Amino acid sequence: MNRAMGFVAGVALMLGASNVQAADISAGEAMYAQACAQCHGRTGRGMASFPSVSGQDAEYIEARLIQYREGEQVGPNSALMIPVAADLSDENITDLSAFIAKTFQ
Amino acid sequence: MSSKIVNWPLGAVMASVLSVGLPAAAFASEHTPNLSYETVLSGLSDPWDMAFMPDGTMFFTQKCDGLSVLLPDGEVNNLLGMTGSDGYASTADDLFCEGQAGMMGVALDPEFDDNRFLYVYSTSSMAAPGTNRLMRFTVSDDLTAVSDRTDLIEDVPYKPEASDQPFGGPGAHNGGRVRFGPDGYLYLTTGDIHGAEVPQSPTLLGGKVIRIDRDGNAAEGNNAPEGFDPRIYTYGHRNVQGIAFHPETGQPITAEHGPWHSDEITALVPGGNGGWDPRPNMAGRGDCPDGYCGYEPVQMEAMDPAERAEYMPMTDFETYPDAMPPAWDNNGLSQGMSSAAFLTGDQWGAWNGRMVVGLMGIGFGGTPVGQRIDIIDMAEDGLSVHDVTEMPLPMGSGRFRSLVQGPDGNLYAAIDEGDIYRIIPE
Repeated sequence: MNRAMGFVAGVALMLGASNVQAADISAGEAMYAQACAQCHGRTGRGMASFPSVSGQDAEYIEARLIQYREGEQVGPNSALMIPVAADLSDENITDLSAFIAKTFQ
Repeated sequence: MSSKIVNWPLGAVMASVLSVGLPAAAFASEHTPNLSYETVLSGLSDPWDMAFMPDGTMFFTQKCDGLSVLLPDGEVNNLLGMTGSDGYASTADDLFCEGQAGMMGVALDPEFDDNRFLYVYSTSSMAAPGTNRLMRFTVSDDLTAVSDRTDLIEDVPYKPEASDQPFGGPGAHNGGRVRFGPDGYLYLTTGDIHGAEVPQSPTLLGGKVIRIDRDGNAAEGNNAPEGFDPRIYTYGHRNVQGIAFHPETGQPITAEHGPWHSDEITALVPGGNGGWDPRPNMAGRGDCPDGYCGYEPVQMEAMDPAERAEYMPMTDFETYPDAMPPAWDNNGLSQGMSSAAFLTGDQWGAWNGRMVVGLMGIGFGGTPVGQRIDIIDMAEDGLSVHDVTEMPLPMGSGRFRSLVQGPDGNLYAAIDEGDIYRIIPE
């Protein structure tokens, strides 16, 4: 579960800006509606204890999702995010991050 | 915006009832209503609660903005702002929001026509490190301003610092519902602020249901144990965000948010103990993260909710054999149980007299998210439920924060996403 940080950083770089253009925004939108909006809100501004995801670039969102997928604790809601991210593929993360970054400015 | 969705062939049913000559009342009592909805307000920021005047005028709170009122003609007057909010007739700079904390419950005095008293519960920085306060205001006759702030309760605990818990940021677990009961007293529900000592404390007002009169004095008959603050009506709660009163017996019934398991509906008795006690080194537990056992034995990873309940029960009958038993525990799951109200009136048909409970939805460790409104048929003694069914929503679901039956007999529902809906039975 705890892979080397170097590997994580490497994946994050591979998923970086060059991949955003290839992302499937509509696939990301569908995933967001199904798995994210219930906590982060339909407009990404967060609700109650759940933080806003607006105003972030795709690289930031990707890096966080990869950390959660790897089981890293990042903030007080990690217990909720880790299982959500556990089954995401690289493609899922790219699509989702691109949708969030593009839509929630 | 309005939308009407017919769930059952009402016309056909009506025709068959008429054909055998049954009175309309029999029909109304035996059939569930068709529901439609209208969006009353949208684009709000974390709407938290509503309170109505008989003519439909609706006061409402937004967690980080403040108190406003929607007039019957559709105009909104912003009455009381908080630090950082703009466009309000007046601003109380000590009121602030953080995490789950901020401006929460609102209620009108039963004699509002005469005294113009409004009550609102909010987090305040007036006393370090911050507290939750129950305040009384006087509303102007033209509904454009509030004045004469009187802080009835100044010291409901607030969580000022983050801790090593899920949702562990500052501002956790404030409770927050404010309601008058049929006994004429004002009830305030509070939360444990991730503080292990708080729920069973005789003096700290977190993790309690408080019952006072309109001036802040303890209600007669609260019956709290000796040495307890006389304003305490019940104690040993985790985070109560819902309270409603049985339309026939008048008994207060709470809806409470559980810890990775067991949301609870509980009929309260004066001086009762809810049985929540998240202290370490007791009840078979050892040390816990930052001294709070509320999400143990494994607070950050999935585990069978029943196994959790065994280790850290929501109602600990072994330690507190006389604890108030929950009537329902959401089948052992925690899905963010929040507000509660009773549906009354023939327009609700078979649901007349049923309790509705809003669930905000939390998906953790394999538990379905579960955003919904449940319709609960409570046993008259409050100790069990006859039936629980999910309301077939005419609109999409959301984080149901507040449910209130309006003076028009419709159900009003606020969701964290920023909408307030009117759910109309037909």
